[in-house]
Amino acid sequence: MAKEFTIEDLRVLADLAGLNLSDDDLQRLLPGVKRAQQQVAVLRAIIAPGDEPAGVFMASDGDRK
Amino acid sequence: MSTVVKSNDLCYLTIAEASAGLRRKDYSPVDLTEACLERIEALDGKLHSFITITAERARAQARQAEQEFASGKGRGPLHGIPIALKDLYMTKGIRTTCHSAVLEKWVPDYDATAVLKLEEAGTILLGKLGMHEFAFGGPSVDAPFPAVRNPWNLAHIPGGSSSGSGAALAAGFCYGALGSDTGGSIRTPSAHCGIVGLKPTYGRVSRYGVVPLSWSLDHAGPMARSVEDCALLLQAIAGYDAKDAASANVPVPDFQAELREGIKSLRVGVPRAGWFNENLGVHAATETVFNQALEVLKNLGALIVELDGKPFSIARKANQTILVAEAYAYHEKTYQETPMKFGSTVRRRMLEGAFLSAADYLTAQRARSVLNEQIRANFARVDVFAVPTAPRPPDTFEGMDPNEQNLRPSFTNPFNLTGLPAISVPCGFTPDNLPVGLQIAAPPFEESTALRVAYSYEQATPWHERRPAL
Repeated sequence: MAKEFTIEDLRVLADLAGLNLSDDDLQRLLPGVKRAQQQVAVLRAIIAPGDEPAGVFMASDGDRK
Repeated sequence: MSTVVKSNDLCYLTIAEASAGLRRKDYSPVDLTEACLERIEALDGKLHSFITITAERARAQARQAEQEFASGKGRGPLHGIPIALKDLYMTKGIRTTCHSAVLEKWVPDYDATAVLKLEEAGTILLGKLGMHEFAFGGPSVDAPFPAVRNPWNLAHIPGGSSSGSGAALAAGFCYGALGSDTGGSIRTPSAHCGIVGLKPTYGRVSRYGVVPLSWSLDHAGPMARSVEDCALLLQAIAGYDAKDAASANVPVPDFQAELREGIKSLRVGVPRAGWFNENLGVHAATETVFNQALEVLKNLGALIVELDGKPFSIARKANQTILVAEAYAYHEKTYQETPMKFGSTVRRRMLEGAFLSAADYLTAQRARSVLNEQIRANFARVDVFAVPTAPRPPDTFEGMDPNEQNLRPSFTNPFNLTGLPAISVPCGFTPDNLPVGLQIAAPPFEESTALRVAYSYEQATPWHERRPAL
């Protein structure tokens, strides 16, 4: 199970993503990021190994334009 | 009496009524256009529904329509009808800002497909409408353009993100508008402003030339003051478009054909259990009005079937995960290079997408497959779903709590996730005289069914006849 994000985690990830975020920015972001992680945990619980993502690549897509 | 008050009668016609009047020569496209422009000039200072007003272009289009009428070259029911566009529809030669400093001066060099189709249908473009910045977050209080106000009470939000479209229609500034809907952005402002808004099936209306928020959840669609008008607008903009990778190559029916067929024996599913009471639940005033609306549907011959709401409740989590991930991916470069150009609300909320992993995103897309199947399985038992459009009446700007929306059920998100067509129709008012919307969702590509239910309800009730005092 993934651990909950901390401000330090966000700082590292933000740097890696090329984002220049202040401490205030990170503080404001943290609750939303935690909520997003909790949402994904709920979703993880309803999928089975055979469930594929919605939206399947179609080899013929390139012909559309 | 001022001319603005006199123009009320003209400005509050439905598209169907205005079109009939044009054919009878009761007035001309120029008359309709001037009435709208005069009303916008007089009253939009309070509402801020328009970002850009294209008055001279509108007048030129109106004169052209007048000439075409005079020479018998009618183009159909939208010919000569003044409309407006949410400011994320690309318009060739006209600024398209997305209500953001990021695109404050951007002038596209091509039109969105839906814009072209409306132009071909002979509509007159009055201008571009305010919205939530990049169709996300909430009212844009620190954007270069003021936040749109609710015509029913200026202290209240109009709902979003197609806030200008909802407010302009409720205020009688235009006859029809286009909005876009990724999590409820057509239906919520329609409910909060007391008008009608339809999110069509995913793939029914081209997204080409609509600035994306989330590719797999974005829907383009019509907003108007009546259900019939939404059908007329949808007719003009629906259809396959090879330029949109998600466009569905399916037949486009006559969306007006079924409107008057009634809803006797129609099975209306209400997914109440496990959804309506989520966290803070539905606001009492909203639930009272919604239950009264169900009674009306019953009296019209519909059968109400209670359903398990759990998959609908979980759908919001998948919708939000996909939305922030895709939205951040689209805007990533701007976040890296000029993040302060975003307003504070959108900057913070969209950034959540930067901290989701690829596995998180794909988990949400896998859950989408599961929830889609579970939600659609209900169509073996019912013909449509009915829920409130919004879980609570529109908040005040002052008392707005962006976190509260996560503490109440989202009645709109599940139909973005599943791509089902869903319409919001006015269904009453709170004790504070704020509008409430009834939402009807139908199986894929059955917009006609949703329109029929909404039309039957609309015609049996007086709510669509009320106007805000401006």
